[in-house]
Amino acid sequence: MTGSAHARLGLPDLGVGVGLRVPHYAHVLGARPAVDFFEIISENFMVEGGKPRYHLARVLESYRVVQHGVSLGIAGPEPLDRAYLTRLKRLLAEVKPPWFSDHFCWSGAGGAHLHDLLPIPYTKQAVTRVVERARQVQDFLELRFALENTSSYLTYNASTLSEWEFISEIAERADIGLLFDVNNVYVSAYNHGFDPYEFVEHVPHDRIVQIHLAGHTNLGAYIIDTHRGTVIDPVWDLYRRTVELTGPVSTLIEWDDEIPTFDVLMAEAEKARSVREHALSGQKLEPIPRGILTQGSAQSVHGTHGQGWQQGGPRETAEQGAGE
Amino acid sequence: MTRSEPASEASELDQIQTFFAAQLRKRGALPKDSALAAQARAFVSASGRLSPVERLEIYREQFWLRHTASLVEDFPGLSGILGQEAWQALIEGYLEAHPPASYTLRDLGLHVPQYVEAQPTLAHHALCLDMARLELAYLELFDAADAAPLNATALAAIPEDAWERARIELQPALRLLHVGYPVASLRRQLFLAQTSGESVPIPAPEPLHLLLFRRDLSMYHEELTAGAFALLEALTRRVPLAAACAQAQAEIPEEAASIAQNVGAWFQSWAARGFIASVEV
Repeated sequence: MTGSAHARLGLPDLGVGVGLRVPHYAHVLGARPAVDFFEIISENFMVEGGKPRYHLARVLESYRVVQHGVSLGIAGPEPLDRAYLTRLKRLLAEVKPPWFSDHFCWSGAGGAHLHDLLPIPYTKQAVTRVVERARQVQDFLELRFALENTSSYLTYNASTLSEWEFISEIAERADIGLLFDVNNVYVSAYNHGFDPYEFVEHVPHDRIVQIHLAGHTNLGAYIIDTHRGTVIDPVWDLYRRTVELTGPVSTLIEWDDEIPTFDVLMAEAEKARSVREHALSGQKLEPIPRGILTQGSAQSVHGTHGQGWQQGGPRETAEQGAGE
Repeated sequence: MTRSEPASEASELDQIQTFFAAQLRKRGALPKDSALAAQARAFVSASGRLSPVERLEIYREQFWLRHTASLVEDFPGLSGILGQEAWQALIEGYLEAHPPASYTLRDLGLHVPQYVEAQPTLAHHALCLDMARLELAYLELFDAADAAPLNATALAAIPEDAWERARIELQPALRLLHVGYPVASLRRQLFLAQTSGESVPIPAPEPLHLLLFRRDLSMYHEELTAGAFALLEALTRRVPLAAACAQAQAEIPEEAASIAQNVGAWFQSWAARGFIASVEV
């Protein structure tokens, strides 16, 4: 383990948490189960009132909450959306998380917001754009900012850096944190044919302030980051290696499609806790397999094509609240 | 891996993003023609398992699935009236005409009533327009600002002679909608039919004045008389109470006497139900 005095940029280790999702609201607010922390999707609560704000207020009474955004689109061709940042700042003032995060991605062009985490060409020019904007975001919101590596389904001819070189340079130059999504490393490694352990080994571990884990959908020719199902064994192994390198870092289970009961979700969180504790204790459970790109079986295409996947699961909508 | 970059990379980054975004917004699967293949190859690498166009197609397909799924969630009544095929055609046309522009999918359907209005050949056009307006109103009500209702003590403290010039502030989570069909009850029937599988008949025209409101976080509708509707409409425009009554009487002359007779009771009822946020005297 290499956790140093500067680990996590001085931010706290919150333990193992789960994403707060609409189907679990009744259980969470009724039973108040023990959870180290919740992560919310910021945009789902950047509204004036009603159920979303009510539920958030009740959750904040009992739990630590961190905020994760999906709409900043930091690398896009258009300037940062100041109105969006202003609303985000209002929510941060209410939630008071120790940090907030979004993604290394772009999300729109030509005035359209495409609501996707689109991959960036890994170039020096893109580094400069993201560094400048990440600094602006962190300064404007007056809170430690972290960016997350995304899953991607294509690469660009223009790229001159590896993904790990790209995100590391941005994190260092902008002085921001990394939200390290271990499943995304695996997905992109599968889709693009690189060694995920090389990615894990070559990022600035002291800047990793949070880790994400999730399931995915393997379609054979490529993997989609659906956040569906349990975390697969090769991703647990990658997570174990990550924790060995970072020391204790807040870890979160994301589950956004075919969302299970809360008990099933918490069982996955407990598995993460167990893997994390073994990694931190220095115990070796078993050799880490290095040929993971050949592992993981292809799942049925049915159920992924024909429906859109969405970061953060379903948002709370009028239909769910209709009391006519 | 490190290699040198072209000098004009700033524009190359924007070019890539513009090209990519344009492919995502294309309706229907990306063509397998040589022109697009060459364009895609200029920006996107092949994976060994997928061509550049196939890799772009993953994102394009998701763009349409994600946004049409969001709209069907927000407009179950409208999609229920139209049926799958007509709904899909309508909504794909809508997304072309009004591409998503907000950071939140909550705003995706803001222009649906306007778009439906501009489609006069749509089956059950007038009914669809009413349903679109109702469903947008529900979307707005759902997360409209919370405001504490005016309490009885504050209400009682308003001097009798101040009421004539009083401006009433209604709750933000309240909407008025004049429709030509019983769309609120139809929406409920369509919602229930999703599980029962029963077919829902298209209703006959029936002009209604609806008050839509949120209470205890749930949304409700009730029918108003034309006079009460006109009075509330004037109050939402911050017309002072006495003038609002006069406007409502002028607008609905056949209910002038009823308005004069009932305004006190209406106001008490609205206040008791928390519809009044404040009174400015």
